[in-house]
Amino acid sequence: MPTSFEGSSRCELLILDTGPIRELVGFHAVDRFGFERLRSDLCFISNPESYRMCTQFVASFRRKTTSASVVAELYRWIRETDPKGQAKLWNRVYEDFQNMGMDEEVVRLVEMDLGLVVTFGPVDVSLLELARRHADHNPVLLTIDSKLYGECKKAGLHVSHLQEVTLMQR
Amino acid sequence: MAPEVATPLHSKRVQAWVYAIMNPLIESLGREIRLLGEGNLSWRSYSKRCEYIRPIREYIESSQLPNYEDFLADNLNRGFKERFERHDHQVSEVESTANRSFIGLTDSNEFQKQVKDSLEEYESTARGKPQYPNLSSIGENLPKVVAELLVNRTDLLPSHYMMHKFWQDYRARFEHHRQPPSFQELDVATATLQDSSKNLVSDLEKHRRLLCVTYDIPAAPITIEKSFSADAYLV
Repeated sequence: MPTSFEGSSRCELLILDTGPIRELVGFHAVDRFGFERLRSDLCFISNPESYRMCTQFVASFRRKTTSASVVAELYRWIRETDPKGQAKLWNRVYEDFQNMGMDEEVVRLVEMDLGLVVTFGPVDVSLLELARRHADHNPVLLTIDSKLYGECKKAGLHVSHLQEVTLMQR
Repeated sequence: MAPEVATPLHSKRVQAWVYAIMNPLIESLGREIRLLGEGNLSWRSYSKRCEYIRPIREYIESSQLPNYEDFLADNLNRGFKERFERHDHQVSEVESTANRSFIGLTDSNEFQKQVKDSLEEYESTARGKPQYPNLSSIGENLPKVVAELLVNRTDLLPSHYMMHKFWQDYRARFEHHRQPPSFQELDVATATLQDSSKNLVSDLEKHRRLLCVTYDIPAAPITIEKSFSADAYLV
């Protein structure tokens, strides 16, 4: 049965923050490959229904991208997990990036607004810069970071919180 | 005179076997059994290996390998060395049979043609339908991707994967390619490994129980919150 995301229109570009990637990769690793210890890391995608809602939302975009800073943040997450499972978790990240056709872009620190970096940190600013860079494609930023979410709203950028996505009605 | 009370044996070596060897193995083999039961071998053509079904040694954290060697060498754990070797041989058998099945498929002209025809049909259906992602980035690798999905008995891909729609629409057409003898051999090798891993888990659990009782060791490390421990009440 087609869902609300599988209608006739398809949005152009989704920019993914670290949190949603972590949740997508984490839930798939738990549900499909049995890595139960990651379950406690999951805040928003905790059951097959919320995973389905999120994957359908992501699938409704033709292109998906993220910044190299986000990948560095994924490293920070993975190195805090059980050392025995880190290689497997990186393997999951690689395969998920590959399978969803994820693009990855570099935003140089010197291109970022210093004031914004001081307030939000370089990872969030790299995502704001990607939104600015791809403004022609009407991008939507997906995050779990309330501060970044609020800043995007204030700046008039399209932004979705993962919680909204997983609670959307069919 | 007070009666003599037998003091239970304690051994840090045995404790290390339970926590660093047996518990991780029971957990990893449990996951392995689940994956094998679903036919999800996690086999990848680039490595020709099962990503999440591994030889026993690879289930042990590298810093604990000296404890693993000690576990294998001690007579208390007699028989496990041979059992682990058998397991590893069976994993290798699954991987080589999966590879043969994969090569058999990708070398088949009929299979290649069917993938090509399906892709053309998909592309023609996709015109003007935004829910069909463009598969051009997969391009020439599509037969390999499809063959890998068949080897791993993948029923459904997550909606955000580029191949989701293609696999949803065309999977049934490729199912008959799982008939050749190499796939039957793969099913046998998978079932053999699954049975043997089930027995191994059961024997590891029994052996853990025996060691825990004999050496008075909890089956998993216990961490007691300071505030709830008796120490909190000692001044």
